[in-house]
Amino acid sequence: MTALASFYREREQPILGAGFIFLLILAWQSLPAIISLPRGLSLFFTTPVEVVKAFYRLVVANEIQSHVYVSGVEFVVGLALAIVAGLPLGLIMGRSKTLDAMLDPFVTAFNATPRLVFLPLLMLWLGIGIWSKIAIVFVGAVFPLLINTYEGVKNVDRVLVNVVRSFGANEWQTMKIVVLPNSVPYIVAGLRLAIGRALLGVVVGEFFGASKGLGFMIASAATNYKVDVVFVGVTIFMSLSLILTHLVKRVESRLSRWRPDVVKTF
Amino acid sequence: MAFREMISEYRRPLLGALSVVGLMLVWEYAFTYVLPLDPFFFTKPSLIAAAFKEQVLSGALWHDVAISSKAFLWGFSLAVIVGIPVGVFMGWRRRAEYILDLFLTALYASPLVALAPLFIIIFGVGLTGKVALIFLLAVFPFVFNVFAGVKCTDRLLVNVVQAFGGKEKDIYFKVILPSTLPYIVAGARIAIGRGIVGILVAEFYAASEGIGFAISRFGDTYRLPEMFAAILLLMIVAVIFTEGLRKLETLLAPWKIGQEAR
Repeated sequence: MTALASFYREREQPILGAGFIFLLILAWQSLPAIISLPRGLSLFFTTPVEVVKAFYRLVVANEIQSHVYVSGVEFVVGLALAIVAGLPLGLIMGRSKTLDAMLDPFVTAFNATPRLVFLPLLMLWLGIGIWSKIAIVFVGAVFPLLINTYEGVKNVDRVLVNVVRSFGANEWQTMKIVVLPNSVPYIVAGLRLAIGRALLGVVVGEFFGASKGLGFMIASAATNYKVDVVFVGVTIFMSLSLILTHLVKRVESRLSRWRPDVVKTF
Repeated sequence: MAFREMISEYRRPLLGALSVVGLMLVWEYAFTYVLPLDPFFFTKPSLIAAAFKEQVLSGALWHDVAISSKAFLWGFSLAVIVGIPVGVFMGWRRRAEYILDLFLTALYASPLVALAPLFIIIFGVGLTGKVALIFLLAVFPFVFNVFAGVKCTDRLLVNVVQAFGGKEKDIYFKVILPSTLPYIVAGARIAIGRGIVGILVAEFYAASEGIGFAISRFGDTYRLPEMFAAILLLMIVAVIFTEGLRKLETLLAPWKIGQEAR
């Protein structure tokens, strides 16, 4: 018994955390068996077992793969474009005072506003196809990347820059030797935020005027009262987001063990 | 000489204003003289300004803003009322942290907006659905910021209260809550952004009034100047609130605090 007790004491945190989630799922599953739900509510009710069944059904029907594929393409292309645009702009803004001052009003305004507000505009411009979704992913993800890169460049050690300069390095070499390595942890932190924004863009973008993708699957299942399918979609999004952020977080903590815990938040 | 000094002192805001005005002028000029303007596809600043003036003065947009604000205030207040106690509890009781942390972190990190269609079909297109969605999105920044704030409370102060015979209640209200205040403000800043996302998604998805509905309706009817005006209004509100809270944050706690938005 003492062995069990010490086992518990050592792993109390994960046991309690996982146990709570398990209990919640159990309670959810057994709720209809304990109390009879009113008819109005049972229409919107589903149980975890039903959700798993629906997932299995969709996988067998080869339906979910195509939705995931479309959403995945939107996510990857949008995020890649955001990296391609955000990093250089952040580097330049961090190094040039003039450009920083000139672009700052735009960056502040767009960063404070949820970029989802541009979704109707982007759909008007780019149509209801895949490109309007890629665009919304892009505008969502680009600002966290840009701002974190900027912050990383700003926090570079002046002394190191001066040393490299006095040994005759030009701007490009300074960038390569000092500035870029120093900002990597910040960029990774920005990437983690960008992933969240990008997923948000995929979900919401596909709610409107899409014909494929996980967000579309959720929205059309909801209008047909297929609540189990809604939860399949939501669960997939949740797992994807948890896995991706966890991976980036691990990279982050490896890179930034030495870094003081100040990164620009928004 | 004084002029030159003034310029170098206010270089940053001057350059910023210059680039904004410059962009507007180039945009206006380009679509007036150089490029043909397709009114179903693009617009220009003078038209946006006219639409902004018309929509804001006529009060057409104010009605939508009021509808959205009402939903926002309800959802946000609920998030405060629920989020702060949960955060305090999690921060102060180790077991509560162990039990809730994994579950709530998973919810915080995932795109809960995906539940929006479900909320709309359950609660309807009116106020309730929006409030529920805004609450769900805005509650987690409060929980986790308050949690972090409580964790950083000075143990010494707690000991003093206890030594003078203070009860559990005194510890909460005399030590923990005041020292957590800056964190609450930081949480509010993040929660505002997420709350606006909730409004927009709910109103884009299904609504008959509200600022999000107005924007998507203007888009559907190709009234681009009005659409830009509505977007501009929302941007102004968002900037005022987030930058205002950021100022308040630095006022309350000049060191950097706050959990990152996820």
